[in-house]
Amino acid sequence: MSTPTAPYSMYRPKEGLGPWEHRGKVAAVGIGHSPTARRWDGRPEHSVGGISLMALRRAIEDAGVAADQIDGLVMDPVTTTGAYWPQGKPIPNDMLAVFKATDDPLDGIAKLSADWILNNMPELTNVRFTMYGPGCMSNAICVAAQAVGDGLTHTCLVLKSWHNFAGRYYQGGANAGNAIPGSAALRALWGTPACYGTALQFAEYCRKYGKHHDMMAPFIENSRNNGLKFPEGYWAQHRPEQITAEDYKAARWIAKPANLFDNDLPIMVSAAYLYTTAERARDMTQKPVYILNHALSDGRPRSLTPTLDEVEAETARTARKIYEGAGICAADLSFENMYDGFPQFHQFHIEGLGYRGLQFGDALDFYQGDIGIHGPNPILPSGGNIGCGRSRFWMHTDCIQQLQGRAGARQVTGVKPEVAVSGGPMPLGGHFTVWSATPD
Amino acid sequence: MILISFDIDGTLVVGDPPGILEVDLVRAAKNQGLLVGSCSDRPISAQRALWKQHGIEVDFTVSKHMLADVKAQFEAAVYYHVGDREDLDKRPAERAGFEFLWPHEALEMPWLSRGSCGAATKQR
Repeated sequence: MSTPTAPYSMYRPKEGLGPWEHRGKVAAVGIGHSPTARRWDGRPEHSVGGISLMALRRAIEDAGVAADQIDGLVMDPVTTTGAYWPQGKPIPNDMLAVFKATDDPLDGIAKLSADWILNNMPELTNVRFTMYGPGCMSNAICVAAQAVGDGLTHTCLVLKSWHNFAGRYYQGGANAGNAIPGSAALRALWGTPACYGTALQFAEYCRKYGKHHDMMAPFIENSRNNGLKFPEGYWAQHRPEQITAEDYKAARWIAKPANLFDNDLPIMVSAAYLYTTAERARDMTQKPVYILNHALSDGRPRSLTPTLDEVEAETARTARKIYEGAGICAADLSFENMYDGFPQFHQFHIEGLGYRGLQFGDALDFYQGDIGIHGPNPILPSGGNIGCGRSRFWMHTDCIQQLQGRAGARQVTGVKPEVAVSGGPMPLGGHFTVWSATPD
Repeated sequence: MILISFDIDGTLVVGDPPGILEVDLVRAAKNQGLLVGSCSDRPISAQRALWKQHGIEVDFTVSKHMLADVKAQFEAAVYYHVGDREDLDKRPAERAGFEFLWPHEALEMPWLSRGSCGAATKQR
């Protein structure tokens, strides 16, 4: 089956589009997560393909549907941002023995196609629609929501998986070559770390508003606190370590003013959701969480790294799109789960949203107050990448679980979980979803 | 007096990934009177928790870039850092005036294998 990348027409990139035509008519129901690992241990069942099958089957079971009812699959075929299979390294034979491969020997190991999934899930006998939403789960769920709303699929699995291999992250692939293609050459030439651009923006933010790096400490502390209450997350499963304010302030710089704990940890993990129509969702096991809108940020900076002015203009524009399509305003948000990888741009997202009345330059002061899950102003109850490891999807799982009332120890109690927003990754360049406990 | 700093991840067996040095080696070094501690990218509170979990009272727990502070704080005849990374252990250690040992080299040092460390130390 040929799987296309989602066309631009499936997204909502502009202001003035009005309420989303499928507002409240699409729902997320089932959730499935694989266990996390720091790196692949070489066992086939723990490969990125193997853990994807696990997550998908768990989502199906969680939703309480029969596999033959599923007719759609939306996923991201790219499974890393910087861990590459070493050139010339042989593919493990047992991988080939356990799974049905595609023409690409790295499929299921260092990438993931819809064909690989369908080859290895024979129970999915009725999948007629497959599509790629590349980059992260934030993209894939917007594509799935639109596809279900448009009637392209009625019961759709959405999948995002991540692999990580032994050795240094970001040291392979194009970074290991003698030439870097495209405009990346201009950034990569000097070997700047990934957080460099965000650190630049954060430095300008601190200068403009008279803030300083240590004011991020409560956000980091809160994120890890919440993440340690997320049993699906890496830190909760493997290294239940808090990051205290003292820890944060003592960490070494990576790209000043971004330090070690302003960066996240690459891991292996897979998550899947089951999306369906509001009508079908009523008969499924879990409470439906309705999609009120999805929105795209595709603003382009004038130069290589967005300036603070460009970031602020874009996050404000994104917020207007989010609210307009969902038919809500900032005051309707029970909580927010915007992306945090890197944490130093989280405040750009929530200031753009005007969450709890925030204006630009307010967030770091806001972080000094009660931002915990039991207070009236929850910030990132998922814990995000800092709390759970690099996946870019904890915030979506958390929104669904919170609105279903099954976030466990992480359940927000200071607000009634009714409407939430999540998305990312970047302030300039991301996909956003508005979730609701009710269809209207 | 000998001061020895241990990296954790990739160096000690309790690291992530596990290294080759047993925690009991650290305990033995401490029991022999060496100044012992950890210098790791783990949060300092997590380093303290690790040592508490293993019942070892270390002399210092610091972040990766703070070996120079350790040298300023403790007086010793020789300072060692044991780690598994060229860029994050060896080079910073040497810049801070420490001798550097890879884990397998540390295993061959007499003060880890059988122990002899000189008199008690004083904190600067």
